[in-house]
Amino acid sequence: MKKIIILLTLFTFTIQAQIKVGDTIPAFTLLDTNDNKVYSDTFKQKIILVDFWASWCAPCRVGNKKLVTLFETIDKNKIEIIGISLDTDKSKWIKAIEKDKIKFTQLIDPKGFDAKTAIQFGVEALPSKFLFNDKGILIAINPTDEEIINYFKK
Amino acid sequence: MKNITKLKTVVSLLLILGSSYTNAQITKAEIRATGLTCSMCSNAINKQLKSLTEVLNVETDLNTNTFTVTLKENNELNPKIFKDKVEKAGFFIGSLMITAKSEIISKNPYVVVNNKKSGVTETQFQVVDKGYVTDKEFKKLSKTYKDISTYVLNSEDDFHIKILN
Repeated sequence: MKKIIILLTLFTFTIQAQIKVGDTIPAFTLLDTNDNKVYSDTFKQKIILVDFWASWCAPCRVGNKKLVTLFETIDKNKIEIIGISLDTDKSKWIKAIEKDKIKFTQLIDPKGFDAKTAIQFGVEALPSKFLFNDKGILIAINPTDEEIINYFKK
Repeated sequence: MKNITKLKTVVSLLLILGSSYTNAQITKAEIRATGLTCSMCSNAINKQLKSLTEVLNVETDLNTNTFTVTLKENNELNPKIFKDKVEKAGFFIGSLMITAKSEIISKNPYVVVNNKKSGVTETQFQVVDKGYVTDKEFKKLSKTYKDISTYVLNSEDDFHIKILN
């Protein structure tokens, strides 16, 4: 019986896991660096790149630098880059943003891999990127830098 | 009557054996994982460890890259399960420190490699076999423990342990 329950839980978990290309962006409400609530609706009709990261994740910090450079080149009326940090320590997140000189939208879901958005998006590793078109449809998971740049140029 | 006495002896023996067996348990395991990618950046190890019904809690220390696993009482786990789980997640064990009831070290699969006395009720030890330390360290340890015949055999069924407390 116990085994069946475990199997069922695992199964439901798998069903929930990771959004697929073609899916709509999951709705979320998260806090920004000033503790203001930010709703996912805010970015409607824009191309959205969501980047899950954490201050302690070295590869993510390297990625931040690339995103910072990329952010300078994009049309901010049409494209939104959203960083979602899974840091549990808010102060470390703020420090990392300052250090990496991030100017694009930064939100926090401070529960590590147990964070609601991490589960909604199906984030199993950091960094994780999700690229949505202007209709909020997922078009790529973990696209390469080149793929992102090419898509943004379109 | 004689049979009953015999039965009683057998039952009590079994009880003693049984209780000493369940006492010989691991209460906590501290796992430092290694691999080609950032082990903390993946949820895989966490998930694998939490999939064990004997696991009460998994905590991660981001400064030391350590997963601390607290186990339920009366579990019968041995160190191999942690190695299997970490490897299943795509990583390797860099070091494995275990806290257990002290009786554990006199039990069968464990071979103590140092002279240090363990604590009276609880003991902490490091598993020093191949696959439980980094390759580099294993090379060093193979020289240190070259006189321990079972160590060099690399059997998966016994665990060579270095008492820490």
